[in-house]
Amino acid sequence: MARENTNNRKAIMVTPEACIGCRACQVACKSWNQLSGMKTKNNGTYQNPPDLASSAFNLIHFREVPSQENPVRWLFVSRRCMHCDDAGCMKICPSGALFKTNDGAVAYDRNKCIGCKLCVNACPFDVPRYDADNKITKCHQCSDRTNAGMQPACVKTCPTGALKFGDRAELIDDAKKDGFKTIYGEKNLDGLGSVYAFKDEPKLYGMKENPAIPRSLVFWHNYLKPLSVIGLGGVVAAAAFHYLAIGPHKEKDEEV
Amino acid sequence: MVRKSSIDEILNHWILAGSCILLSITGFAFLFHLEPVSAAFGGPNTMKDVHNWGGVVFGLSLLYSLRHYIADALEYDADDLQWFKVAGGYLSHKVTVPPMGKYNPGQKLYYLAIVVFGVAIALSGLGMWLMKDNATVMLLSHLVHSVSFIVFVIAVPVHIYLGTVANPGTFKLMISGTLPLDEAKRRYPKWMKAAGKM
Repeated sequence: MARENTNNRKAIMVTPEACIGCRACQVACKSWNQLSGMKTKNNGTYQNPPDLASSAFNLIHFREVPSQENPVRWLFVSRRCMHCDDAGCMKICPSGALFKTNDGAVAYDRNKCIGCKLCVNACPFDVPRYDADNKITKCHQCSDRTNAGMQPACVKTCPTGALKFGDRAELIDDAKKDGFKTIYGEKNLDGLGSVYAFKDEPKLYGMKENPAIPRSLVFWHNYLKPLSVIGLGGVVAAAAFHYLAIGPHKEKDEEV
Repeated sequence: MVRKSSIDEILNHWILAGSCILLSITGFAFLFHLEPVSAAFGGPNTMKDVHNWGGVVFGLSLLYSLRHYIADALEYDADDLQWFKVAGGYLSHKVTVPPMGKYNPGQKLYYLAIVVFGVAIALSGLGMWLMKDNATVMLLSHLVHSVSFIVFVIAVPVHIYLGTVANPGTFKLMISGTLPLDEAKRRYPKWMKAAGKM
């Protein structure tokens, strides 16, 4: 099911090397999605707000990594929902509120969300947030724009090309041709819909190594879910078979 | 006539059974996103409320049932062992089934399974309902809830089958609670002896 969209899958390619940290992507996202402002405190870092929030679907993650040859090195990584192909949030969602768009992005239907917060605990990247109405919010790759042939708001506004949107396979090919050794998310979780082009180790940028869906969730999905149907069906079939082959209990005289 | 089940036992049994079936239907609807089912409940949000509060009814009813069955369910004797050796007479009508008390060991073990997995499913349900910000509790509860659910969808249909068509006359016991004395002597001789009626 998850692989249906692989062929025409779209992605956002993030190239942190090209990011100047202007945060226009954050503003554009708020503007398009009509998200309210947040009061935050200066905590001594360029990063603001401090984390993704119900009114912050994307964020420039800031890291300072000084070294001998480069005493002032600032890294900016644009963070948002990774739009996993094998999405833990979608797997665990009991109400079907989370769904895949034709582009392969993970979007959601607010009306169907029952506020159970299982998705929050199943996400390998700590992305979903709940709003004041107790409904899921997160980046949906601007599916309301991309469906109309437009680019996501963050990509549209990015002045340096640090964010690109397009055919996933093409974006990855282009980044490799441009000399980016590591494409983060090319293979993780069957391929992410937010991919990152790095020349250094992704770890340096604070990217999670070997992101994975919780094991209990995989076990539940692969074994427990089918077993519930097989178990019920098997027992009903066995009861019918027993009734026909052996038959119901008969009263016997010697039992008296 | 002999009374086997009191009125409050019968009432509680049907509250437990009704909530259990309601929870199973809504549970399956959540597990497999059965939209027609959630639509019948007025959408997934209402279905969640039905499921959560139905679970509270189920949990309380299960606790109340302890006073009716737990003492019997924890007592076993040599006849019970023999009962298992002949599979309760369910696999062949030729074997001799040992005399039974009020409940056979199959019923007693069934009840213990329902208590154990009923408590597990209720507590894990409460965990997911009330401790949403604790990832460990959420994921563990999600797993325990599902494992218990599988026990229920296997055990309960067996109970329904054995309590209805497989044992003619048993079902009306959960309606009226009484049966004729000679029938009681034939089916539950050790219980009748203990009650001084045999």
